[in-house]
Amino acid sequence: MEGLTAGLMAVALAGLGLWTLVHRRNVIWKLLGLNVASGGSILFLVAVAHRPDGRPPILGLGPGPATDPLPQALVLTAIVIHFATLALSLVYVVFLTERRHTQDVPKLERRRSRR
Amino acid sequence: MTAAAAGVLAYFLLGTLGVVTGKGRLGGALAIVAGLVSLGLWAPGFPEGLIGDPPWGIPLVGDTIALAFWCFIPLVHAAVWWHERRRPSAFHGLVTLLVGTCLATVLSRDLFNLYVALELGSLLSFLLIGYDPRARAVWGSLQYLILATVGMLLYLFGVALVYGTLGTLSLTRIAELAPDFAHPPLAIGAGLLVAGAAVKAGVFLVGLWLPTAYGEAPTGVATLLAGLVGKMGIVTLARLAESMPVGTVVTALGVLTGFGGLLYALWEKDLKRFLAYHVISQIGYMLMGFGLGGPAFFAATLYTVAHCLFKGLLFQAGGVAVEATGERTIPSLAGRLPRAAAWGLAVGTWAIVGIPPLAGFVSKEYLGIEATTAFSWTFTALALGTTASFSKLIPLFRPGRPGGAWGGIALLAFGVVGFSAWGLARLPGLWAADLWAKALITVVLGYGLFRILSKFRPRLPEVTLDRVAVAILGVSAIIPLTLLAFG
Repeated sequence: MEGLTAGLMAVALAGLGLWTLVHRRNVIWKLLGLNVASGGSILFLVAVAHRPDGRPPILGLGPGPATDPLPQALVLTAIVIHFATLALSLVYVVFLTERRHTQDVPKLERRRSRR
Repeated sequence: MTAAAAGVLAYFLLGTLGVVTGKGRLGGALAIVAGLVSLGLWAPGFPEGLIGDPPWGIPLVGDTIALAFWCFIPLVHAAVWWHERRRPSAFHGLVTLLVGTCLATVLSRDLFNLYVALELGSLLSFLLIGYDPRARAVWGSLQYLILATVGMLLYLFGVALVYGTLGTLSLTRIAELAPDFAHPPLAIGAGLLVAGAAVKAGVFLVGLWLPTAYGEAPTGVATLLAGLVGKMGIVTLARLAESMPVGTVVTALGVLTGFGGLLYALWEKDLKRFLAYHVISQIGYMLMGFGLGGPAFFAATLYTVAHCLFKGLLFQAGGVAVEATGERTIPSLAGRLPRAAAWGLAVGTWAIVGIPPLAGFVSKEYLGIEATTAFSWTFTALALGTTASFSKLIPLFRPGRPGGAWGGIALLAFGVVGFSAWGLARLPGLWAADLWAKALITVVLGYGLFRILSKFRPRLPEVTLDRVAVAILGVSAIIPLTLLAFG
């Protein structure tokens, strides 16, 4: 049951993030929405690993079913990638703000002809 | 397998050293040699091997796709290395790393490993597109970043759903399990995997980040992106079509992409954006071939590799032209190109429109032979449109001044000619008079179509970040629903 709840919450989180991404005009808001949606995908992987009454997948924690360790290993990689992508995009936003003095996406797109 | 893994490792090590130590140029050159040595050791292929212990090891396979890419990746890398040789060391380190991710992607048969390789490749591409601090290039890179991240997010959800239902990430194992889509989570997962990879591959509508990103990237980077990195999403789609019954969806995406990209390319005036829209259009051929499967799969592999070479050549020559003149639009470039750029564009156009006997003719006609009749008509229609669209480059073929940056253009042109010679010697069925006649007639008709179409000037809907994002979300709903309904 907890697994299903976590999965549904993950989908809701991703939906919320993607809605922000499409709805907001400010590029910082878009990136925030993207980051929330990334959080959703990570929670979803963790939810997939869930087993009823599972213990943490650590050797020596005793008998009984353990949760699936593989998705948790994947989550670590995914978190690092999302972090790196967000950091780079924020550097670009800082650069664009200094050059174009705006964070509004339609404005950034419109003045395409100027260098 | 050890040799191939060592080759990838050497690429990553030399790339990292190049970024850190300031010997990036030397590192890049050594990496090219290491890649060739590694290829020499593992060619002509190897069966599946695992990095790590079963059942969780990462499967690598040296199959035809891997072999075909490994043969031409060093050539493209060498062309880029030579053209950008005056760049600082860190640039070369990043290029080496990026090429390394491509080498890894084509070997991998693991869903999550593919995700990591694709994301690493995207991250390095973002860095390289925005390498020159120009606001337009940085914006192109940022919008690519946002859209590609959305795509890879969907892919990650797909990975989770497929792993949750089948309990494995290995594509070989998934193919053995022969999944059917009666089970809804699996159908949705497979659909999300296809949608995510489609964004990365540059499928029409969801992949329209591509013209700005490729159009604004520095010359060498654009060559690398159009030639190699852009193909990685397509390789992922091909792998998915190999192991899951999603071939029909991939073929449908291919038809849409072929004509959609062409529609935008026909009236585009900016040289580099025009070439980028044609990348999208040509992706259609590849996806149709990969989706159809069977003998068309091998033909599509050949087309993909040939496209690496001639599209790389076109982007290289176009970039040289833009660098030398400072102009970007086709009418203002006419008659002002350095000789190298004019020749490069001419050979690239000759190849891409499929005039015999160059690479485009070889690979397109072979795909037409191997595909079913209905699709060979689609291919002919696309070829007609491609010729019509490329006809507007004709004024550029007359050089306006001698010289120009020859190195990269000569290397890639050599690759195109080499591929054509190999194809004509080894592929069956190409020495037929009716094929040659058909190709030539298509070119003549295409030129006529160009004369007609140049009278019209339709207003196509503008491509904006928000529209593409909405398209991605729409496609990521439609594909899983299609698989649920018909799978």
